[in-house]
Amino acid sequence: MSADKEQATPKYEPAFHREFRAIENGAYASQCMQCGLCAVTCPARELMDYTPRRLFKMIHAGEKEKVMNANTPWLCTSCYLCTVRCPRGIPIVDVMHGLKHELAKKSCKSGVALLSKVFFQSAMKRGRVYEAAMTNSFYMKLGPGSIPDAMKQQDVGLDMIKHKRLPLFPPKKIKGLKDLKKIYEKAAAIQKEAHKDGV
Amino acid sequence: MAYSFYPGCSMEATGKAYLVSFEAVEKALELDAHEIPDWNCCGATVSANYVGDLPQLAIAARNLALAESAGHDVLVGCSSCYLNLAWVNERMKLEPEFAAQINEALGAANMQYNMTLNVRQLIDVLVNDIGLDKIKARTIKPLTGLKVACYSGCQTVRALRRRDFDDVEYPQMMDKVVEALGARAVPFPMAARCCGGSQQFTKVDMIYHCTGKVLESAAQAGADIIVTPCPMCHMNTDVYQKKINKVTGTKYDMPVLFITQLMGVAFDLKPKDLGFSYNIVAPGSKLAAYGVK
Repeated sequence: MSADKEQATPKYEPAFHREFRAIENGAYASQCMQCGLCAVTCPARELMDYTPRRLFKMIHAGEKEKVMNANTPWLCTSCYLCTVRCPRGIPIVDVMHGLKHELAKKSCKSGVALLSKVFFQSAMKRGRVYEAAMTNSFYMKLGPGSIPDAMKQQDVGLDMIKHKRLPLFPPKKIKGLKDLKKIYEKAAAIQKEAHKDGV
Repeated sequence: MAYSFYPGCSMEATGKAYLVSFEAVEKALELDAHEIPDWNCCGATVSANYVGDLPQLAIAARNLALAESAGHDVLVGCSSCYLNLAWVNERMKLEPEFAAQINEALGAANMQYNMTLNVRQLIDVLVNDIGLDKIKARTIKPLTGLKVACYSGCQTVRALRRRDFDDVEYPQMMDKVVEALGARAVPFPMAARCCGGSQQFTKVDMIYHCTGKVLESAAQAGADIIVTPCPMCHMNTDVYQKKINKVTGTKYDMPVLFITQLMGVAFDLKPKDLGFSYNIVAPGSKLAAYGVK
């Protein structure tokens, strides 16, 4: 984090803590007692703008802008180590899922938001994920700017092709695909109704 | 004992060696596993980033609804699939309100799940149902002298956010399986640490960092090979190993096997039935003495 960012006067939005409580799993954030065990536990802590502990503090304080722009939730890999260790029993991974879902509703143009979107779309297209096509779709949607990054991983991709780890043909469509879509749509509607007052 | 088997998408593609070797070992141990008809993707935790928890767990629950009439325990190999199926099962049993929401969603497709099943990870079934004695008895070629780092990975042992069939931080069960095969399980502190998950496309440095630590820990413990029950752990430790060597200046030559591949070697099954052609770090360098080229 840069010194400028640290010293700038934070913008507090007192209503934010309440809004955050309304998102899926958001209410758990209020239980944080700032012990910092999650901060020393997280395998991604060194790459995060703010550790989970700091993120929770900023939620309490109403620092909406910082919370909504932090890379913290996007680096969470759902390894659940913080979640099994948290002395308050906060399912931190679930809070991160809730926050990412809320952010993804606003934009899914890049990074984990885009990857999660193409993964889910791939799962819903046939009922089973086609990993090879999902990867292509991710880079296509990222646009030409992603070519250098994709090229850097070419050796890994070639190894996978050589060892037949990327099947050439997609999995067969499941028979209950329409059912699967109905289940998803109904669940999404229930979720939307339950969390309509979110951020 | 009969099981409803959930393979999952990875086992059929990037983790194909797992499915192939599972089928071989299943036959050898006379495991009566029946694939859940018309199963769908569990959603993996990555879907929850986009759609949130409830819809993701609802689509996972469809598989339990499909399996319920058979009445058998649901057997899962993949860690992430295990997490999703086991967690939705547990949460429905613990939270009636959540169960009602899931069943309302399933109801849109005229389905329901009455929470009568147990969801079981493969390692759990191997140790607690099949039993170490039977695994030992089936071992024709004991893996004497082989040093193995047992990499459970994160979601395998933390699916229920509590102690499940193994410890959430220092798992031991796979060590027991490996020792029943005649090999030695080395002390491996990174056994349940994150490999970086699916950050390959979004923050590949995290793979180098997290998986790098796992490989380092295994090497320091003197392991000849790593075994894992997780397709994602396998992907990062096997597929990305050369890349990690290139980027971080290391020289790991650490074959990574699915646990069922190693069992197959000890059971003296044909190497061609154990899917070694899918392994990128050649297993032959460390397993030649046991008949693997």
